[in-house]
Amino acid sequence: MRWGRAAPALFAALLVASAVSAAPFQDPARDARVTTLENGLTVLTLEDHATPVVSFQIWARVGSGDEARFTGLAHLFEHMMFRGSKHLGKEEHSRLIEERGGQINAYTTRDETVYFTDVTPEHLPLVVALEAERLANLDVSEESLADEREVVIEERRFRTENDPQGRLFEALLALTWQAHPYRIPTVGWMSDLEKMSVAECQAFFDEYYAANNLVVSVAGDFDTEELLALVRRELGGLRRAEHIERNPTEEPPQLGERRAVVHFEVAGPIVAMAWHAPATGHADAEALDVASEILSSGRTSRLYRALVYDEPIALGAAGGYWELARTGLFFAWAQVRPDASAATAEARLLREIERLRSEPPSAAELSKAKRALEVGLIAGQGSSHALAARIAEDWIAFGRIRPLDERLAAIRAVTAADVQRVANAWIVPDGRSVVQLLPPPAEQAAR
Amino acid sequence: MRRARAAALAALLALGCGGTLPFTAAPQWELPPPPPRDAPVVPEGRLHRERLPNGVRVLVLEDPRLPAFALGVVTTRGAGVEALGEAGVASYIAELMERGAGARKALELAAVVDALGASLTVTSDWDAMYAQVAGLSEDRDALFDVLADVVLRPRFDADEAARVQSELLAALRQAKDDPATLLGWHFTRTLYTGHRYGLPEAGTPETLGKLGAADARAFHKRVFTPGSAIVFASGDVDAPALLARIRSTYGAWQGPPPPGTGVPPPEPPARRVVVVDRPDLGQTQIGMGHGGIARTDPRRLPVQLLNSALGGGGFSSRLMARIRAEEGLTYGVSSQFVQRHQPGPFGVFTFTRNEKVGEVVKAILDELERIRTEPPGPEELARVQSQRAGQFALSLETSGEVAAALVDLEVYGFAPDSLDTYRGRMRAVTPEQTAAVARELIHPTPASIVVVGPAASLVPQLEPFGAVEVVKP
Repeated sequence: MRWGRAAPALFAALLVASAVSAAPFQDPARDARVTTLENGLTVLTLEDHATPVVSFQIWARVGSGDEARFTGLAHLFEHMMFRGSKHLGKEEHSRLIEERGGQINAYTTRDETVYFTDVTPEHLPLVVALEAERLANLDVSEESLADEREVVIEERRFRTENDPQGRLFEALLALTWQAHPYRIPTVGWMSDLEKMSVAECQAFFDEYYAANNLVVSVAGDFDTEELLALVRRELGGLRRAEHIERNPTEEPPQLGERRAVVHFEVAGPIVAMAWHAPATGHADAEALDVASEILSSGRTSRLYRALVYDEPIALGAAGGYWELARTGLFFAWAQVRPDASAATAEARLLREIERLRSEPPSAAELSKAKRALEVGLIAGQGSSHALAARIAEDWIAFGRIRPLDERLAAIRAVTAADVQRVANAWIVPDGRSVVQLLPPPAEQAAR
Repeated sequence: MRRARAAALAALLALGCGGTLPFTAAPQWELPPPPPRDAPVVPEGRLHRERLPNGVRVLVLEDPRLPAFALGVVTTRGAGVEALGEAGVASYIAELMERGAGARKALELAAVVDALGASLTVTSDWDAMYAQVAGLSEDRDALFDVLADVVLRPRFDADEAARVQSELLAALRQAKDDPATLLGWHFTRTLYTGHRYGLPEAGTPETLGKLGAADARAFHKRVFTPGSAIVFASGDVDAPALLARIRSTYGAWQGPPPPGTGVPPPEPPARRVVVVDRPDLGQTQIGMGHGGIARTDPRRLPVQLLNSALGGGGFSSRLMARIRAEEGLTYGVSSQFVQRHQPGPFGVFTFTRNEKVGEVVKAILDELERIRTEPPGPEELARVQSQRAGQFALSLETSGEVAAALVDLEVYGFAPDSLDTYRGRMRAVTPEQTAAVARELIHPTPASIVVVGPAASLVPQLEPFGAVEVVKP
């Protein structure tokens, strides 16, 4: 039905095209090397001299999912890593990199904290020395914590409290996960940010920033042997931790739909829903990715047709599979038009979800969804930064660097029956959580 | 503790862990930076340039590393040439061009592109329009045909025109939900009332409400002309075959010469202080600024370096160091000379908790004054020059980025070798030149102040800076 206007001959041509792309493809990460130092530090290297750029990344295996007492600690600590050390003043690390034209920043997720520096290769020795300095000699003082706490509070206001989507997704995740620490917003709750202490930060650093909890990932224009010697010299003396504490809580089964409303001063409501889905690396992952493409990819996707195009009630609608280390989510959402109702949008989203469960996708739909995933995977391998991140992610999730061909083969192997099966296994009515973001009631009445 | 560890490391090295780098006693950060290695921007023999007899410019950059490619047509005119009453027509036709071309209606066109896992995008900005396809290289013939249809034979069907108009009107209403978008609109309105730059690039409900398929066709004819067009490709392409196809497809294209680059905006008025009242917000968005320069202004290199020092240079710029690192008043602050075909605004943008707005505005005005009276000396200038040189290399890592930068030169009529000469020209800028542009182009006294937040708390804080106007969102 969605294909009413396209000629059937077109589909045949497309299926052929899809088969052609199965020709051998040279994975840019095929020559990546893994080295483990005596202190347990893992070093991933991918040498490639195509352009004079190198990305040096440190992945700490700690995120907001490890927080138990003060929320937002992993992320606030990430900020503290730029506030100076024994030999360098606050922000001097960034200044030294930036005045050489480098790009330096960091981000925190539920599972990891990632520090990256992208530079031209002649500055690599400085990059490694600066990382060694802060990992060995970080200075967490009352004064710098006081300043950085305010910066992070402004970040929280900017990304969450003043932002309708930020508010909505914070509420949705806290509704979906009632026990699992993934329910904690990575930026933290405001009251925790206000009370965070130096002692908490120091204990966190001591616990999680040990050599055997870190992965160094480097991709681009450098000499592997020289780099390894440099890393051994600068980071080989970092201490190793005997035991790293993890938050043990798992999510109990959800026994019925959960709903919430968030009021916010908006013209256009937003509706979002989520279901529990498997952790990264699960055998159903590719079929869930395909399901997400069928819902969301391009103007012929089901949600675009059902909510944006055929009978327009939304400005945008999409679904997706979000895989994390310990569990995952499948979600769908719609930015509702100011003149339409959130309830109608929710019903349309649910109708399309139900359709995934009740019938297999057509051959053409399956083919284009798989194709879109393939193109995205291949096109995403272009920069040193992306490659360093990919090999680090693979190593942390699977303990090896997964060849691109293996992932492509897994995508190509997904059948229409698989898509229907995983939809019925995971996207279940009793496991659903729904949040509507609506204008405050007085304004609703006024309209 | 650190010293003990260093000794252990030295011992480790001595034990034969290997390594070719010399052990240095001084920390790396105390050593002078190694000399820059200015690698060529475009590898030898990869770039093919041509000008077709009808004026179409062609740029093909081969890069076989990944089996993917991008192909596009860019025009050297965009929303900047719109009349006030048709504001938004460029973004309107951009959306419509994706919705039907040649023999294919909207969903048929989408079906071809989606089936290849490819993308088709048409976008506009103030100075240019960009139609582009991207996908796997094995699909390049099919995607070439899609792009040619979209650029040369857009349908502008009446049903799609009505649909797009309704979507864009709804999107305009919804966009006001975002405080930063609201700030952008009110900031330019304050500076450029009565000029096209004073209205949102996407238009207003009044102007969009009047547009139809005939307006779309007319604007397409004005802007998509051979004399305005650059056809570009990058990635895994077969250059001789592609160039032949480009010649045969775009060589016969006829059209009027491109329109002028629009009317220069008048000098913005002396300081206005505007509060866009959003009583519900706990954090205020702040924009401050005045008029600036055009992209082709001969002072653009000293201006770029000056702005890097002031607020365009990441964590180490003066504004970031003071307002974020020293005072913890914001998560981010930046300054920008918006350079278009015509002179665009100079602005400083940030956000802070409501009760600190007066303090932040004062700090920004202080820094604007300070960059005039204490402009970057040789050391600070050398730092931003080194920063720009490195950023330049990083920004041109992929062939897609290089192609986009080459196209950008064409849009503004810069010399084709500008990327190769950039670092040399930029490093030749002197402290006297940056000091001169600071005095000529940064003006704290007439700078307008526009904020989005709760008026009740903001008006008393802003009264010291001028008469406050409170407006609705």
